[in-house]
Amino acid sequence: MKILVCISNVPDTTTKIKFQEGNTSIDTTGIQWVINPWDELSLTRALELKDDASTGIKSVTVAHVGPAASEPVIRKSLAIGADDAVRVNLAAQDAYSVAAQLAEVVRKEGFDIILCGIESSDFNGSAVGGMLAEFLDIPSVSSVSGLKFENGAPVLTREIDGGRESVVVPVPFVAVVQKGISKEPRIASMRGIMTARTKPVRICEPVASDSLTEISGFEKPVPRASCKYVDADDPARLIELLQNEAKVI
Amino acid sequence: MSVLVYTENWDGKFKKLSYELVSYGTSVAAMLGTEVIALTIGKATDDELARLGNYGAGRIICLTGDQLSVPDSRVHAKVIADLALKEGCNVVIFSNNIAGKALAPRVSVRLKAGIGSGVSRLPLSLDPFTVYKRAYSGNAFAHVVIKSEIRILTLAQNSFDAVEKPTGALPETVTIDIDGSMIKTSVTETQKQGGKILLTDADIVVSGGRGMKSPDNWAPLVELASILNGATACSRPVSDEGWRPHEEHTGQTGKIIAPNLYIAVGISGATQHLAGVSSSKYIVAINTDKDAPIFEAAQYGIVGDAMKVLPKLVEAVKNLKK
Amino acid sequence: MIKHLIFTVTLLITIAVFGYTVNRLIKFFRFTKAAFPVRDFGKRFNLMMRVAFGQTKIFRRPVIGFLHALVFWGFCVILIGSIEMVIDGLAGTERSLRFLGPVYNFIIASGDIFAILVAISIVIFLVRRIFGRIRRFEGIEMKKKSHIDANISLSLILLLMISLLAMNTGYTGKMMLTGEEMAGIYPVSRILAGFFRGMSPDGFSFMLEISWWTHILTIFVFANYLPYSKHFHVFMSVPNVFLSRLDPLGKLTNMENITREVRLMLNPETAFAASPADAPPERFGIRDVEDATWKNYFDSLSCTECGRCTSVCPANITGKKLSPRKIMMDLRARMKEKGPLMIKNGRDFSDSRSLLRDFISEEELWACTTCNACAQECPVNINQPSLIVDMRRYLVLEEASAPGELKSVFSNIENNGAPWQYSAEERLNWTRDLDFEVPVFSSLPEGGKMPEYLFWVGCAGAFDDRYKKIVKAFATILNKLNISYAVLGKEETCTGDPARRAGNEMLYQMQAMLVIEILKTYGIKKIITTCPHCFNIFKNEYPDLGGNYEVINYLQFINKNIEEGNLKLKKGSLENMSITFHDPCYLGRANGIYSEPRSIVRSLAGSFVEMDRNRSFALCCGAGGGQMFKEAEKGDKEVFIERTEEALATNAGVIATACPFCMTMITDGLKYKNREEEIKNLDIAELVVKAMEG
Repeated sequence: MKILVCISNVPDTTTKIKFQEGNTSIDTTGIQWVINPWDELSLTRALELKDDASTGIKSVTVAHVGPAASEPVIRKSLAIGADDAVRVNLAAQDAYSVAAQLAEVVRKEGFDIILCGIESSDFNGSAVGGMLAEFLDIPSVSSVSGLKFENGAPVLTREIDGGRESVVVPVPFVAVVQKGISKEPRIASMRGIMTARTKPVRICEPVASDSLTEISGFEKPVPRASCKYVDADDPARLIELLQNEAKVI
Repeated sequence: MSVLVYTENWDGKFKKLSYELVSYGTSVAAMLGTEVIALTIGKATDDELARLGNYGAGRIICLTGDQLSVPDSRVHAKVIADLALKEGCNVVIFSNNIAGKALAPRVSVRLKAGIGSGVSRLPLSLDPFTVYKRAYSGNAFAHVVIKSEIRILTLAQNSFDAVEKPTGALPETVTIDIDGSMIKTSVTETQKQGGKILLTDADIVVSGGRGMKSPDNWAPLVELASILNGATACSRPVSDEGWRPHEEHTGQTGKIIAPNLYIAVGISGATQHLAGVSSSKYIVAINTDKDAPIFEAAQYGIVGDAMKVLPKLVEAVKNLKK
Repeated sequence: MIKHLIFTVTLLITIAVFGYTVNRLIKFFRFTKAAFPVRDFGKRFNLMMRVAFGQTKIFRRPVIGFLHALVFWGFCVILIGSIEMVIDGLAGTERSLRFLGPVYNFIIASGDIFAILVAISIVIFLVRRIFGRIRRFEGIEMKKKSHIDANISLSLILLLMISLLAMNTGYTGKMMLTGEEMAGIYPVSRILAGFFRGMSPDGFSFMLEISWWTHILTIFVFANYLPYSKHFHVFMSVPNVFLSRLDPLGKLTNMENITREVRLMLNPETAFAASPADAPPERFGIRDVEDATWKNYFDSLSCTECGRCTSVCPANITGKKLSPRKIMMDLRARMKEKGPLMIKNGRDFSDSRSLLRDFISEEELWACTTCNACAQECPVNINQPSLIVDMRRYLVLEEASAPGELKSVFSNIENNGAPWQYSAEERLNWTRDLDFEVPVFSSLPEGGKMPEYLFWVGCAGAFDDRYKKIVKAFATILNKLNISYAVLGKEETCTGDPARRAGNEMLYQMQAMLVIEILKTYGIKKIITTCPHCFNIFKNEYPDLGGNYEVINYLQFINKNIEEGNLKLKKGSLENMSITFHDPCYLGRANGIYSEPRSIVRSLAGSFVEMDRNRSFALCCGAGGGQMFKEAEKGDKEVFIERTEEALATNAGVIATACPFCMTMITDGLKYKNREEEIKNLDIAELVVKAMEG
C-alpha cells in the first residue's frame, strides 16, 4: 500500500504576524517556515505504520503545492522519513485550487491512503482534505484521531460529539486527521538528514484550476480591555460582576 | 436564490448551535432579500423539526432514508448538494463543527462553491461577497472574498446568538433512496461518554492547570462547574500527567472552544493554551502568581490561592441561586 | 634447588596466565574507538602524583579515605619487598636488596609497620562490609557476585599481610635467637616475635619458610585473580588517572563527523548534494561496546565498584534508576560477554543484544542531570557523564528517540531559537522598564567604536519572567560602572546547550555555527554572561567549532570590580541577613568557580552559612541535562526538594543562586515547602544591586 501525506508550509507558531501593502498580505521577512503541525503528526503516523511490517505499507510520499522556496520544508519531511516527494510548482491560492492540484497528483501516481491535516495554522481552513476526496470521488473520513491496521486493513477512529467511533472504509480514501493521530511528531535522525539530500523530489507543473476565494485584507484582533482585579478575600464580588456586568451567569 | 442552512441532529434532537445557525442564516437571507431553508438528515419528529421554524426558517426539510443513517460524508454531501441545486440555493451554511468540517468541503467541490470557514460575523459586504474569519490561529482576522456564484459558509461556534423569529413553517420529510453500493463507510464500534455536558457545547467552562498542584484538589473546581451548569476543562500538562481525561484538554493542540465564560484556575496562560480559548467571550483568571501571562488575556482576575477562592465562589453562586 | 625449580615454574605459570589475560584484554581494546590524543605529560604526571599517589579524591571521605590511603601506600611499599622476593626466588638469594643500606632499612621498616596497619584496616573493611549496612554497597547492580568478589579480595589482602608479618616475625625471631645481623629493621615484627617465647630457631625458620611461600604464591594467585575482579583497579587505577581526560568537567567532546555534516548543510552548494564517497558509515554515538572509546573501556576496568559516584548522584539519591557505577559495570560486563564473540566471529558480529537496552535502559540515561558529581567523586578519575551523553547521542541522532518534551525543545530551538516557544522579537522586552538605555549591537551608529563587551543575555534572561529581573539587575550594575557593552537583542539565539546535553549534537552544532557567525559580524571578542550554561558552552565548547572568545561569568566580573574598588557597596539592608549559596553545577564542578560568589556574599551579608554539601560536593538542583524541560523519571523524591530541604536546614533567611535553572528549582522548592513568604531566593546580582542602593 502507498500512503500520501499532503503537507503545507506555515509560519512557525511563535512568529509575530505582521502585514504589509495596506494589510493585504503578510510580511514574510524573517519568518521561519515549518511543516503545518497537523501535517507533521499525520506524517509521523504514516511512518509509524510503515515501520510496522504487518501493515503492508510500502512507501510514504509527501505532496506539497508551492513554489521552490518551500523546498526546505519538503526536505525536512524527507529527513523525518518520507520516501519521496512531489511538489506542484504553484503558489497556493486557495483551498479549492490546492485540492485540484493534489487530485491530479493522486490520479497520476495512485495512492491507497491519503492523509491531510484538518487545518493549517495559517488559514485554519479545514477544507483541502474533503475537497480532495470529492475531486477524486472517493470516501473521506474527517476528525480522524486514530489510524491503525487490523488484519492488514486500515481502521480509523473518528471523533464524534461526546465520544468516538471506529470506522472502516475501503481504499483509496482520504483521512482528514486531527490531534491524537499520533502522540508527538517525529524528529529527523542523522541518517534521515543525510539521506534527505538525495531522496527524489518530483516537480510537476500545475494543471489549470480556478480559485474560488481570495483574501482581500487582514485585520489585527482588537485588544481586549485589561484585567479587572477582584480581591482574593472577596471572591463573591467576582460572581456579582459576572452576573451584572458581564452578564454571563 | 435561497439560503440553505444545514444542521445535523442528535438522535432527532437539535441543540443551541442549530438554532444559532438558523438565526445566522436568517440574517444572511435578510441581507440578500431571500428566504431560509433549514435542512437536516435523519429521523426527527415534526415537533422537533418545527422548532427550527422559531428562528426564521421559512422552510424545514428533513431528508430521511435507511441508507442515510450511515455517516458517509460522500453520500451526505451528495444529497445536500443535490438539494441545494434543486432549490436554487446560492448560500449554504454549515456549523464549523465536526459534521460541518466533514461535509462543507465536499459540497464545495460538488457545487463549485468557495468556502468561508470559521466565520464569526455576518458577511462584511455582498458585492464582492466578503466574510470575516479567524486566521493565524487567532493572531489575525482575514477578509475573504468568495468569488463563486454559490457560497458556502461555516459558522464558528458560539459566535452568533439565536434570535427567535417564528415563521410557523411546517416541516417536510422527504425519503431518499440511495443505491446501497454508494455507501462505503461502516461504523464498527462507538464509544460515548455519558452524562457530562460536552465541553464544546458548554456556555461556561471551568478549567484547571498545573497550579492546582494535585489531581486531589479538583473537587471544588468540579463543584463550581457543576453549580454553574458548565463543563470542566484542563491545560495540557494536566492532561499529559493523567490528572484529567484527555478530552478536557483545551489549547492549540487540544480542543478549541469559545464559551461565554472561561474560568482559568491555576493556569499560567502560555500562548498555546490561550490559542484554544481566546475566542471566549469572557476569561477569568485565578492564580497565585500576579505576573502570570493569563492576567493579560483575562477580563477579570483574582490573585490568590485557588483552594481558598474556589469554595468561596461556590458559596457565592449558591447564594445567587437562592 | 627444588625450591628454586618450583619457584621458577610457578612464576612462569603465573606470567603465562597473566599474559593470556592481558592479550585477551588487548584484543578487546582493539574493538574500541579512538579517544583523545594523550599529550601534556607534565600535567598528567602531576595529576597522577596528586590523585593516585596522593589519594586526594579518596580523602573526600576523610575517615574511611584515610584507611584506604594507608592500604594503598602500604601496597606501594610492600611492592618493593615483593620484587625482592621474586628476585630471591629466581636467583636463590636471600634479601638480595639489602645492598641498598639505610634505604633498605627504611623500606623494610615501613613495610613492616604498614603490614599491621593494612591488616587492621582490612579487618575494619571486612567487618564494615559484612556487618554494617552501608548504603553505597547496595544497588541493583551489586549482585551477590560483587559482594563475594569484594570479600575474597579483602581476605586475600589480609592473608598477604598476615603472611608478611609472619615472615618478618619468623626472620626476626630466628635472627634474635642466633644473634646474626638482621638485614632490615622490623619495629613491629620484633615485638610480635617476642610473643613466641619458647620457639626454637628452627621453629622460626619454619614460620619464615611457610610464610614466604604463602605470601609469594598468594601474590601470584591474586595477580591473576585481579583482572577478573573489581580489584583490577590495583593495576589500572594509576594508569587510568595518568590517562584522565584533562578537559574541564563541563566540557563535552566534539563530534567531528557531525561537524562535517553540518558544514555540508550550511553551505548552499552542498546542501542538496550526495554525501562524499569517503563519508564513514560509522555509528553516531554509543550503542554497544564497539562504539565506545578505549578510554571508556579503560574506565570500566578501573572501576572498583566503590559506589561513591552513585552515592552522590542526585538522580540515584532521589530513587531514580540511574546509577553511574552501574553504567561502568555494565560496560565491563558487556565487553566480557561480547568480546569473546567478536574475537571468534569478527568485529561486525551481532548477538542481537546490545549495551543499550539489554544492559543500560533508556530510563537510566534520561535521568542524568549532567551535574558531574560522579566524575568529581571518582577516586580513579573515571568519566561517567561522557559515556551517558554519548549514549544519548546514539538515541537522538540514530534513532530520533528522546522523551517527548525534549523533542519539543529540539523543535523549538530549531524553529524559534529558544527552548520554549517565544519569538525572537520579544528578546528585548526586559529592557522596557529600565530607567537607562541598554545598547543593542544592531542599533549602534555606523562607524562608531565597538563596545568592549557583549552582554550575552541568554534565553532564560530574555523569556523567563523571574530571570528577566536578574538580567535587569546585572544591566543596572554594568550601567552604574559605565562599562562599554551592548546586547544582541533579537539577533540572539540559543547557544544550543540544552540540545547538546540531551544528545542532539546536530542541532547544537547548527546553533553554535549560527551564533559564531553572528558574533563574527560584530567582531566580538569578550563575552559576559549571567547564565552558567551559556558561560560553560562559550568558554569550553565553542572553541572546538572555531568560536574563541574571552568568556567572563558575571560573578567573576562583579567580584573583580568589588576587589578593585570600582563597585562600592553598602552593607545596609543586608546587614542582618544570613545567606547561604547554592553552587550551580555548571560554575562549580564544571568550571571550578567557587570562591567568587562566596567572596561577593561575604562582602554583603551579615552572616554567610554553608550548606552541608557545598562547593564540589554541592547537590545539583535537578534541572540540568535537559531535566528542566521534561518530567522527572520515576523516583521517590524530586531532586529540587532534596536540595531545598538542605538549604532550609541552614536556617538562612536568603538562599542565593547564580543560575536561571537553579533559581526556578529552588523557588519551586520553597513554594512546595510553603516557605516562600519568609525565605527568599535571590540571585547574586539582585543582592549586589540591593547593596548598591543601600
